[in-house]
Amino acid sequence: MKLAAVLVASLAALASVAQAAAVPGQPAPAFRATDVNGRAVSLADFRGKTVVLEWNNPNCPFVQKHYSTGSMQGLQQTSTQAGVVWLAINSTSQSHSDYLPPARLAAWFAEQKAAPTAIVMDPKGDIGRAYSARVTPHMFVIDPKGIVAYAGAIDDKRSANPADVPTSSNHVKAALRDLAAGKAVATAATTAYGCTIKYE
Amino acid sequence: MPAILTVFFALLALAAQPAAAQSLPRFGAPERHVDAELLAATDAIVPGKPLVVGLKLKHEHEWHTYWQVPGDSGLPTRIEWQLPAGFVAGPIEWPHPKRLPAGPLVNYGYEGETLLLTTVQVPADLPVGRSITLTGKAEWLECKDVCIPGGSDIALTLPVNPAAGPSGSAALFESARAKVPQTVAGLSGQGTIENNRIKISLALPAGRTVDRLEFFPLEDGRVEPAAPQVLKHEGTAVELYLTAAQPVKADAKAIKGVLVANAGPASGGWAATVDMPLMAGTVAPAPAAAATTNASASMSLLAALSAALLGGLILNLMPCVFPVLSLKLIGLAQHRTHSGPMAAHGIAFAAGVVLSFVLLAGLLIALQKAGSALGWGFQLQTPWVVASLTVLFFLIGLNLLGVYEFTFGSGVANTRAADSLTAKSDWRGSFGTGVLAVIVASPCTAPFMSAALGYAITQPAAIALSVFAALGVGMALPYLLLTLFPALLAKLPRPGRWMELFKQFMAFPMFATCVWLLWVLAQQVDANGVALALGVLVAIGFSVWAFGLSQRGSYVFRWVALAGAVLAALTFAPLATSEQTATARSTGGASWVEYSPEKLAQLTSEGKPVFVDFTAAWCVTCQVNKRVALNTDKVVSRFAAEGIIRMKADWTNRDERITKALAEFGRNGVPLYVLYDTSGHPTVLPEILTEGTVLAALDKVKVAAR
Repeated sequence: MKLAAVLVASLAALASVAQAAAVPGQPAPAFRATDVNGRAVSLADFRGKTVVLEWNNPNCPFVQKHYSTGSMQGLQQTSTQAGVVWLAINSTSQSHSDYLPPARLAAWFAEQKAAPTAIVMDPKGDIGRAYSARVTPHMFVIDPKGIVAYAGAIDDKRSANPADVPTSSNHVKAALRDLAAGKAVATAATTAYGCTIKYE
Repeated sequence: MPAILTVFFALLALAAQPAAAQSLPRFGAPERHVDAELLAATDAIVPGKPLVVGLKLKHEHEWHTYWQVPGDSGLPTRIEWQLPAGFVAGPIEWPHPKRLPAGPLVNYGYEGETLLLTTVQVPADLPVGRSITLTGKAEWLECKDVCIPGGSDIALTLPVNPAAGPSGSAALFESARAKVPQTVAGLSGQGTIENNRIKISLALPAGRTVDRLEFFPLEDGRVEPAAPQVLKHEGTAVELYLTAAQPVKADAKAIKGVLVANAGPASGGWAATVDMPLMAGTVAPAPAAAATTNASASMSLLAALSAALLGGLILNLMPCVFPVLSLKLIGLAQHRTHSGPMAAHGIAFAAGVVLSFVLLAGLLIALQKAGSALGWGFQLQTPWVVASLTVLFFLIGLNLLGVYEFTFGSGVANTRAADSLTAKSDWRGSFGTGVLAVIVASPCTAPFMSAALGYAITQPAAIALSVFAALGVGMALPYLLLTLFPALLAKLPRPGRWMELFKQFMAFPMFATCVWLLWVLAQQVDANGVALALGVLVAIGFSVWAFGLSQRGSYVFRWVALAGAVLAALTFAPLATSEQTATARSTGGASWVEYSPEKLAQLTSEGKPVFVDFTAAWCVTCQVNKRVALNTDKVVSRFAAEGIIRMKADWTNRDERITKALAEFGRNGVPLYVLYDTSGHPTVLPEILTEGTVLAALDKVKVAAR
């Protein structure tokens, strides 16, 4: 009975997610939130710029894979220097053991020498659900017109093993390269891999 | 459990530490939640003969690892072999997975204990008697609500021996092998895709049935893992409705995956690999909303038969049946000394009950096949049937009061007829009682029956009929047992004057039933119709009173009785020809919206929460629910506060659209309560409501809708 109730509730939650997925070629769902420093962040403010959304959870082995090798920080650095806006979003529920309060999360990013434009708190999961983000890291690239240009995995090697990073091809890097060259993104959608987002 | 607590406390400790002291928040000690072991199916390696080995993964409670396609998240388990020269390991032969929900997402994987099989090619030129060690490294992701990469070095040493026997784990290998999906001869199918809707149509091989079917895609990003999969029966074929993953890959020409029927081979089902063509076409929206169809509403045949049996038993306690049968039992008790012919009585009675149920079911199925949208309770959707039942109950009541004696066989409640228990005509009477019991039981649809009948109606005719037969057996069971084992009769109270009084008293539940039936009739026809029905009762009353007198020797009254009967028939005639005149009137107050599929679709598409009450005036459970749960101040004000629109689907009269809507939820009767949240997702509430269950459902949906 309890199981059935959970099932129904989770299906209901899914239905609401599925209605509002961020699909390449479609306008990116707007959102407004606060970052770890308490500043307001709105997607609309970045119209005219390319925006990368990175779903993050420091406790996830797949996220650690890309930070321990420095590949995520490297991509953040090169792209933000080129004028791209990079938003790291954490949708972990406050009730989950993986949840980190804003100050702790900010400290972790500082520790990693990470360089996102902002670290966005989404403990209610509203942004995550609007984008149908499933895993960490789930990546989205939004073009200057506000259209989703890429949605999916960070790279083509579904693993939690840092040793795989040097030999894999980074989909986000490729999408940013295509956008910068004024071309259509060649690989616009892949299946994201990682840890499930710990939604409320 | 303790391990989980350890993790939890380790995390707490981490969170308490100053931020700078810790870089990556990691789990304290590398806690293991999965044990790995390499096993072989045989106790030796045979030169030149493939060797089957298996990686046994033993998961701690609530932890899991993943299948080859992990679903929304996760990683498949991998084995990297370091084998001696000449040995070549094949790919992992995966047992079928199960769905593992994680919040709004679903993964595919294993819990408990699983064995991942690998077939290893063995060189032919091995020296007999030597021991050979196979080594490798297994890597997996072990998850509960957190995930930890796991791994283990694995090794297995076996002697080389041409006469190898089964190993100690052979049984484990056998059960694992059974769970590895195979291609199944005669199983063919094709996929159709329209937008994000995928329909798989399957022709099943002879002898394979499906109550529950799950599809696990063998490609990433093809099917939305967490979307409900809805099963629909189309004669001997089945259709499974899936949701394509976003973004939809339009170029695909095939759909590959694993089908798991009836929870897989370990539960008596089967698992098959399928590779079907996928074509663009029209796919209707999934016939039934939500998981109810495939997960909970689809009963196994055994469950349906048991539910029907139980429902039948409970029917004996219904106010409309209990008097009839209890008096029949009393008749038996009076003759407890007899033994032989009693069994014949019991069997005749049971035959009467079962046969009537089967006939009724046959009629229902035939009418449905002919295109009438009918459901259980359909008998009560026609005014003249309701009126006839009123007359019947009235007649039984008068009989119980002793106004006249019933001479149809041993009689419904005629204790005197039991005197001639051994008479030849008597078993016919018992049969007749059985038939009558079914007729009087039909208004008293027990809550259990709705689900069992809903199941039956969607099944092939043979299965449907056996469900109805089980219902009959359940109803006949107490009586049958007492007649087969007369010793049990000794346990019944001794006959005496109390019996006559009891019999007369039982007339009043009968009259109460008449009142209720007349109330139902009042929902279907106007005041004139009700007056006519009451007139019939008066004429009938007069007629049987005269008949009773004639039975006591005043033969003149026979003619009076006949005249009364003619009068009753004449009064009844207009009723018999009238279809229902009044449309069902709303009884729940002005705040209820009348149901229509269009209106419902419009409201849900506007994001409005809607509560639909599928009800009927003749449904007792519905009326009780309305009283104790739906119309209480607390619930009404809560509905108003949440802005939930209350919609009433009144099935008192025949309504094909409502019958169809019920069928979409796997039901074939009322009550049915469905709550649609703001995203239009339906939640089915239980059939028996309390204030608490309704409020709890509202709470839950509020959370889900956010």
